[in-house]
Amino acid sequence: MQGVLAVFPNLDEVCGAIRDLKAKKVPKVTVYSPTIQHEIDDAIDAPTSVVRVFTLIGAICGVTFGYWISIWCSQYWSLQVGGKAIASWIPYTIMGFEMFVMVGCLSTVAGMFINAQIPRLVTNFGFDARFTHGDYGIWIETTPDKFADLEQTLKAHGAVEVRGER
Amino acid sequence: MATTVKPVTGRIKRPNIPAAGIQVPGVTSFEQVDDEILATLKPSPKWFIGLGLAIFAMLIGASAWTYQIYWGLGNAGYVPPVMWGVYIITFVFWVGIGHAGTLISAILYLFRAGFRTTIYRASEAMTVFAVMTAGLFPIIHIGRPWKFFWLIPYPNWRLLFPQFKSPLLWDVFAISTYLTISTTFLYLGLIPDFAVMRDKETNPIRKRIFAMLSLGWKNTDREWRHFAKMYMFLAAFSTPLVLSVHSVVSFDFAMALTPGWHTTIFPPYFVGGAIFSGFAMVWTILIPIRKWWNLEHYVTLNHLDATAKVVLFTSIMVGCGYLSEFFIAWFSGVAPEQEYFWNRVFGQWWWSAWILLLCNMIFPLSLFSQKLRRNPTWLWILSIIINIGMWYERFVIVVPSLSHEFEPWQWTGYAPSWIDMCFLVGSFGWFFMWFLLFIKQMPVIAIAEVKEIVPPKMKNDHGGHH
Repeated sequence: MQGVLAVFPNLDEVCGAIRDLKAKKVPKVTVYSPTIQHEIDDAIDAPTSVVRVFTLIGAICGVTFGYWISIWCSQYWSLQVGGKAIASWIPYTIMGFEMFVMVGCLSTVAGMFINAQIPRLVTNFGFDARFTHGDYGIWIETTPDKFADLEQTLKAHGAVEVRGER
Repeated sequence: MATTVKPVTGRIKRPNIPAAGIQVPGVTSFEQVDDEILATLKPSPKWFIGLGLAIFAMLIGASAWTYQIYWGLGNAGYVPPVMWGVYIITFVFWVGIGHAGTLISAILYLFRAGFRTTIYRASEAMTVFAVMTAGLFPIIHIGRPWKFFWLIPYPNWRLLFPQFKSPLLWDVFAISTYLTISTTFLYLGLIPDFAVMRDKETNPIRKRIFAMLSLGWKNTDREWRHFAKMYMFLAAFSTPLVLSVHSVVSFDFAMALTPGWHTTIFPPYFVGGAIFSGFAMVWTILIPIRKWWNLEHYVTLNHLDATAKVVLFTSIMVGCGYLSEFFIAWFSGVAPEQEYFWNRVFGQWWWSAWILLLCNMIFPLSLFSQKLRRNPTWLWILSIIINIGMWYERFVIVVPSLSHEFEPWQWTGYAPSWIDMCFLVGSFGWFFMWFLLFIKQMPVIAIAEVKEIVPPKMKNDHGGHH
């Protein structure tokens, strides 16, 4: 992997750089920000996260499992009490609900991990420790022949440091 | 999520009092957030003293458990038919304490309540450790803790499954779900902060540990986008979970025909009480922390004021619950129910009922005064009063009902044994031991989220950041 890494101290400058790179149709741009900034979201204009699909599937599986385990266990070891139903859906709603929440949450987390591509073993490539503190950054995965052009664009938007990594 | 205005420049006259949309005016840069919050991780003599006391208290509880395992449950102070005592009271108390954390981190997140940002991490940690503490008590209470796994539905050699219609099994599901989700919520919120700690750390071993805990987090736009969505869904799931867990705990009582228990008001009344006691515990732990580690410009007077309003509201809510119970007992015309409530307030258990009413209904009324709402010393004292009151609320629910059921020949008394009291002390030791260890290893205020409410650096300041 090779590319250009730029460090920006100011939010409006990094947003300007993102818009410019988008206008120039530069692919494979990654933006670093110390926290969630809606200005960056607006500049990137990324599609809605697909984590919600994982949530939906997980929640449906969870509620199904919660009811199923209660009903199946009751049928397997039936406790017959005075003509009452062996499997009673009202109390089993508690198990259904708890499993709905548990599996729904855990699948949401799994969805985030898969889509955000974590855990990852290597963090130092195309990254600078300043991005977790106060600075913003842009990493563009590209070939060395485009480094000079991109450096010029990024510096024009206020990047305090631009370096090529390969 | 956060909405702020122009950065504050020059000398800040009142860093402790937010105004004009700026939640933390004493915090002006991301670097300041990192430096000040990470500075709290350095151990101090006060912390060592606190940890020593907590471990000592925890050992008292551990010794009592060892003694009880050897000699049996007969040491627990039970007097038939009062076979639920301090263990169940303390279990409900700690589950209740755990509620405020998820309420603050999930429900207030969905409501976009600004005062949540700087207090939610401590509250979430409190939740996890409170539920860990609560979870011990049913295990202690069953007397043979090594058979706890019988409550878990798995294919076993006895071909026997637990009774899914029993509220005690509902508890197993509710508490284990709550502990799992609270822990997940706490850990996921910590991931961006672990990344900050990884990049600031100079000790190679600690750096490696933080690198593993941060899962290689790099603050990319892709990570933040999915993280934000995940966080919102987790908050959405946790919101009904907060309401359901203590409702399920209340079913332990409400499903029985015992006088004083068999009432439909229990779920909302328990949930209100849980939030009430949880917020009080947030004050108990957060007010000393903000004072001792100079975090008063993070947890400002406005934050305390906002939490005080929640406490006042929930106090009124539980107060209405208490009064409704009396009204329903009178209105029902059921003699055992009326007799029981009379006995609770003017009979055998009058002292405990009046401690509860004073601590939970009368003293919190002081929060109608804005001056007292903004007085951290009073809030801390009140938090202790409320915690005592809420422990007694559970005492009043458990003991008077069991000691005064339908048949007069069954009526009896109850006094906790020294073993019971050792367990109670031990539970506080266990809770504070974990909490004190937590606050020296992990940031007690969420670094990444505080940065969201700090105005970012701009080259061309057009006067707004939304």
